[in-house]
Amino acid sequence: MKRSTLYSMVVALALCAMPPLVSAAKVGEAAPDFTGTASNGKTFHLADYRGKYVVLEWHNNGCPYVRKQYNSGNMQRLQKQWTGQGVVWFTVLSSAPGKQGYLNAGEENDYMAKEQAAPTAALLDPSGNIGHLYDAKTSPHMFVINPQGVVIYDGAIDDKPTTELSDVPGATNYVSLALEQAMAGKSVAVATTRPYGCSVKYSDSAH
Amino acid sequence: MRDILCIKITMQERSPTSGFFRVLTFGAALLLCATGAHAAGAPIPHGTLELITENPWIEKRWIAAGQEFDVGLYFQLEKGWHIYWVNPGDSGEPPRVDWHLPAGLTAGAIEWPTPRRLEDSSSIVDYGYEGAVLLIVPMHADPRLATERATEIEADLKLLVCSHDMCIPGRAQLSLTLPIGAHASAPRSRYAGLFADTRKSFPRPPPTAWKFSVAEAKDSFVLTVNLGQTKGLQITQAVFFPLAESQTENAAAQKFAPVASGFQMTLRKSDQLQKPIARLKGVLVLSGWDQAYLIDVPVSRPRAASRSGIKIHSA
Repeated sequence: MKRSTLYSMVVALALCAMPPLVSAAKVGEAAPDFTGTASNGKTFHLADYRGKYVVLEWHNNGCPYVRKQYNSGNMQRLQKQWTGQGVVWFTVLSSAPGKQGYLNAGEENDYMAKEQAAPTAALLDPSGNIGHLYDAKTSPHMFVINPQGVVIYDGAIDDKPTTELSDVPGATNYVSLALEQAMAGKSVAVATTRPYGCSVKYSDSAH
Repeated sequence: MRDILCIKITMQERSPTSGFFRVLTFGAALLLCATGAHAAGAPIPHGTLELITENPWIEKRWIAAGQEFDVGLYFQLEKGWHIYWVNPGDSGEPPRVDWHLPAGLTAGAIEWPTPRRLEDSSSIVDYGYEGAVLLIVPMHADPRLATERATEIEADLKLLVCSHDMCIPGRAQLSLTLPIGAHASAPRSRYAGLFADTRKSFPRPPPTAWKFSVAEAKDSFVLTVNLGQTKGLQITQAVFFPLAESQTENAAAQKFAPVASGFQMTLRKSDQLQKPIARLKGVLVLSGWDQAYLIDVPVSRPRAASRSGIKIHSA
């Protein structure tokens, strides 16, 4: 008991001293809450979606790994499939102004219309605040949060880390796998993977 | 025979102008061939790429069965742009090459020079190369190789080129005509020095007197390096590049501490690390010591270590 108290103190001290990147989202822990402004002008609070599954999709429309998912229609298909089953899907744009993937509200709305994208909303995060909160490293980088607000998946969209459209059909999609298993009351077999893609094009001054 | 060294290049890129550009590039390459020059490079996003040799037949005068020789993929990138190491780190991916070779020639794996740490942001660190880099690929010729005529080798390359602000996919098709058999008069390639310098910079096995150990802690791996009696060695900083993805946290500071006869590095475990690892492999770059070392160290876990009574002896 003594040891565990001491350990907690050490951990608490360490947490205070750690840089923000360590406090990022982790599988098995509460998803960090955020408020985001969407391209449709609405404001979304993650905490309002307790009771629902939430998917976060880090996006950069110019990144070849993202284009693979959109040009193949795969991302739109996933968005339609899962929002159709009551899942809340946020596409998050953390590119800073002037960098690849930065879009203002109008541009993002045009992009979504053109691509027939169907997320619940596209959150504009040019400051990178939400991105850093989740330590989003790549586009795409995917997170799944369960109805209790706990992160149950953090990582790649699938198991084919390439830019090839031809790799989409044969890939195992980790987001669908996590949602299917969690909804069936099972534990998520593959809960953490290495996300692959372009680095998130954060603002140089952020952080 | 000078034109035997020419590099025929075509290029594919997904841009609207690529058709025109390809014709232009191809024309330029042919022109260069005709004049005997061979400096043509295939355009890649924000740079050029060449498939080159260092004229391995200089010694033996031809490529013969059983011979090993090197070819190289020579990347020259504009300032601010990079390509990736075999372990790209947090994002990106290394160049991938698909060889089309005549019967009797086999390509080995790319020999990766020591990379650099590319800090993309405070939380994203990649490993790769900026500026100019030569990726050497060993080739092996076996008795099936027809030795009476020149032979062409082709490489299809896919790569990702990035800056801090954007990433662009690239594709290049390269070919190179190798003199086989009696082409004795091949001039020495201007690239011979480049190959030699690149080989010099390869990570190499560390001196046998140096002892390495890795202890697994809860959140980190502690790498201890005992330099024994190596003289004149003042190591004040070191950088470790993990060969495998998802073992150590790329963006975490690598804590360096001098200890008796050497130093210790604390490498934070990756959040993506799901299973214990048996060995830690990677490239270790030491400050003040103009050399990188390839290390491969078994990982001891705390309990196993105390039970088996492992001690680290200072030499």
